[in-house]
Amino acid sequence: MLMLLISSIIGGVLAGGLCGVVGAICNRLKLTTMAFSMAHAALAGSALALALGADIISLAMLLAIVTAMILGPLADHLRIPIDLASMTLFSLYNALAFIFIISAPGPALMIESVGQLLWGSILAIRPTYIAYLLLASMIVLSLLIIFWGKISSILFDIRLAEAEGVNVKAYKYAMLVIAGMTVTLALRMTGGFLVFSLLYVPAAASLQLQANMKGIIAASWIFGSASASMGLLMSFLYDLPAGSCITIAALIILLAASAYSRLRASLAAGRRA
Amino acid sequence: MEKGLEQNAVELDSVSTYYYGEKRPALRDVTLRIPVGSLALIVGPNGAGKTTLLETILGLLKPRSGRIKVLGYNIPAEASKARALSSYLPQDFMKPPIEPFTAREVVAMGLASSSFSGRLLESGWKKVDRALELLGMMDHADKPFGKLSGGQQQKVLLARAIVREPKLLLLDEPFSAIDLETRSYIVGEIFPGLLRGGCTILLVSHDLDYSSMDADLVIRVVDGRVSQVIMRDAHATH
Ligand SMILES: Nc1ncnc2c1ncn2[C@@H]1O[C@H](COP(=O)(O)OP(=O)(O)OP(=O)(O)O)[C@@H](O)[C@H]1O
Ligand SMILES: [Mg+2]
Repeated sequence: MLMLLISSIIGGVLAGGLCGVVGAICNRLKLTTMAFSMAHAALAGSALALALGADIISLAMLLAIVTAMILGPLADHLRIPIDLASMTLFSLYNALAFIFIISAPGPALMIESVGQLLWGSILAIRPTYIAYLLLASMIVLSLLIIFWGKISSILFDIRLAEAEGVNVKAYKYAMLVIAGMTVTLALRMTGGFLVFSLLYVPAAASLQLQANMKGIIAASWIFGSASASMGLLMSFLYDLPAGSCITIAALIILLAASAYSRLRASLAAGRRA
Repeated sequence: MEKGLEQNAVELDSVSTYYYGEKRPALRDVTLRIPVGSLALIVGPNGAGKTTLLETILGLLKPRSGRIKVLGYNIPAEASKARALSSYLPQDFMKPPIEPFTAREVVAMGLASSSFSGRLLESGWKKVDRALELLGMMDHADKPFGKLSGGQQQKVLLARAIVREPKLLLLDEPFSAIDLETRSYIVGEIFPGLLRGGCTILLVSHDLDYSSMDADLVIRVVDGRVSQVIMRDAHATH
């Protein structure tokens, strides 16, 4: 029991931090809806794996990454904005996910694994899962540190970075692959419908602090970690769905960050008066 | 007549550019030679195609037909090589107040963009500070870019363009937010230094009194066509 609690806190810290930082960067690059459809691709992939009895993580990740690759060309082909293409695929993936879930062996919607798919579970946090998370966190952190100069140029103004010779396409695709990887991993914990609470609520909270870009990214990492580990603890203590608890924890942090920033602003105004 | 690479910074031959899904070309059949080390003014009314011309030169917009060579590189095939040697100041440069990067960080990006990992050494940061100094922005170096005024933001981006020590400098309405005093300082002090160093400057403006500028050629763009090239210098031929 205690082992499960400790490993879920560790898993939460890692997955939450990863999601926080990836969410903050995706938000800057206006890839929010793209990440949205990638998450649901991962959900459909997990459901398909469930129906076929295949490995969940690899199938989910495959579908998420394929989605990232085809979204741009699909939007061009249909002559629609990429956001609309994302939402179109999002609907398709949800439709498929339900079909796969129904066709999964065993009594549909009853089995533990379906619940895990939809709203997450701390039971998903096993040693291999933690190893994956650790590896992914290390990859993201080292890429950020090594290429920060170029990444910041892209985050400031992607078109200007392109005009200065940065291979923005390569960075964008790398980012999408990382987002796909992150979402797939986090999905096991939060479930398919609530993974966004970890991608975007910590990013929103970090923006409250009005810090510089490095500060925003660091704060997203910390807020994501805190949301996930607090949520998992809640889930453990009260036996509630992990995804729901993580979302509530993330929202509490957002409210606290917003209150802090307002308090700080009014104190500063008071000092000036 | 074909010119050697060392003579022209920019060569366009019958270039036409269309925006995605548009039937009318934004640039039609443009042929142009801009000699190395010259200051070229690009003038013309709103919607004429001046920005389109700059972005086609950089390969940000792909021409449907024609041939483009920039600093000896074929565009768009070798665009990234030409871009690494060029600087661009876009027309729409303003960022909202929440923009968190500081002025100094924004200038440093100019160097980061064309180095391998983007990491700056001590000497790089010195260059960044010198460029900020040149534009009189040193006092604002650590302020968030979004909290600077429009003119200050434009100066910071000009510093970013200059810090790259470009061979080709593309400026789209670079004075739209900049006061008269700074404008004449840039034209009278900064440009001549760059030109002496062999940099070629393309400056877009729809309202500039170009008699006041010591331009080598004036390119008039009207309705997507280059209608006039006035050469001041006899050896620079069209
Ligand atoms: N993204 C776009 N899609 C379609 N058409 C465009 C686009 N951008 C510009 N155009 C069209 O191309 C033509 C040239 O535009 P361009 O921006 O090059 O003009 P400009 O000379 O820079 O004008 P200004 O002085 O207003 O900056 C215009 O007719 C414009 O309507
Ligand atoms: Mg323009």
